Amino acid sequence: MGLLSYETADIFIREDLAAAHRRAWQRIGQPGTWFRAERRLAIAAETRATRDCAYCAECKAALSPYAVEGSHRAGTDLPDNLVEVVHRIATDPGRLTRAWFDRARESGIGDAAFVETVGVVVTTVAVDMFCHAIGAPPHPLPDPEPGEPSRRRPAGAKPGPAWVPMLAPDDRTADESCLDNVYVSPDPTFVRRALSLVPREASGLFDMVDAQYLPGRLIPDVAGRHRAIDRAQMELIAGRVSAVNGCFY
Amino acid sequence: MLRASATATGTSIDLTAIVDDDAGDGGVPHGGLLTTFAEAALGDDEILLDDTRQRVRDTLGDAALVDAAAVIANYSALDRVADATGIPLEPAKESGTADLRAELGIDVWRRPSPPGRSG
Repeated sequence: MGLLSYETADIFIREDLAAAHRRAWQRIGQPGTWFRAERRLAIAAETRATRDCAYCAECKAALSPYAVEGSHRAGTDLPDNLVEVVHRIATDPGRLTRAWFDRARESGIGDAAFVETVGVVVTTVAVDMFCHAIGAPPHPLPDPEPGEPSRRRPAGAKPGPAWVPMLAPDDRTADESCLDNVYVSPDPTFVRRALSLVPREASGLFDMVDAQYLPGRLIPDVAGRHRAIDRAQMELIAGRVSAVNGCFY
Repeated sequence: MLRASATATGTSIDLTAIVDDDAGDGGVPHGGLLTTFAEAALGDDEILLDDTRQRVRDTLGDAALVDAAAVIANYSALDRVADATGIPLEPAKESGTADLRAELGIDVWRRPSPPGRSG
């Protein structure tokens, strides 16, 4: 499968954004930190399969999503515990709970593998959502690249205020230099630290964020105009998306 | 950030436009159209999305449509990162947005589940 391209879209996509999505798609098809490429691509495919999961739709409509009995309609051969994680994050993220996370961990998913799963799910969601919004068909998933996961866990990652351990800026070593594009200030926000247990995943996410939203260095410039819509328009859209998603971080 | 942007540019913005269609544009140019576009992209009504997308193109131009879609994509990802990893609000952000969260009713919409509590 060739590289992701927007050449057939009926609208011009600025090159930095197209390039960021191209890199994001390449990463999905590469060996990760805890998963081989085939597993990462299965997570991406499962993310897409959630659209046809009647159980997810039933849970989404329910007042108490975790009280609904049934099982997910999986689109891949991922193990059931990963299918559960992928489907809930993709379809009902605003009602994830600590108890749900603990059950995922007790089912045998390591905390770093969980973080990598989150990274692949949200990359798939972002690129697919962009295509949906502009009216373009979803991109074919890339072919898997050979190789083994590095299985490198940051030694300085610590349990903290989040469900997953995170890496504070002062605890970084040269092995985590890929976080340079994420930790753009001395005290980065928690959302920038959230995937830091898998630095490559965090770095990849913010490579995409820089193009979809704004590079970190421009975020404090709230009066500046760096896109075709002004900052207030961008923030209003962001606020509405987060409200619909039930995210009040 | 919307409030910060409004303050920095000296504009008056109705922050309830984030959650309430009745607020119209909320003081943001074409705010109502953009929030309708965001909702349509997140929803399942393809006809509404096609119509809204075309209205954004006609009104604001192709580049604005791309940038609006990119923001929708971006927050579709970041919201899930925040919710799936259980990050809390930073203390400064929590205290600094208490009035806003109360005004928008956000604290009523979703209360955090304490550790160990069944979903």
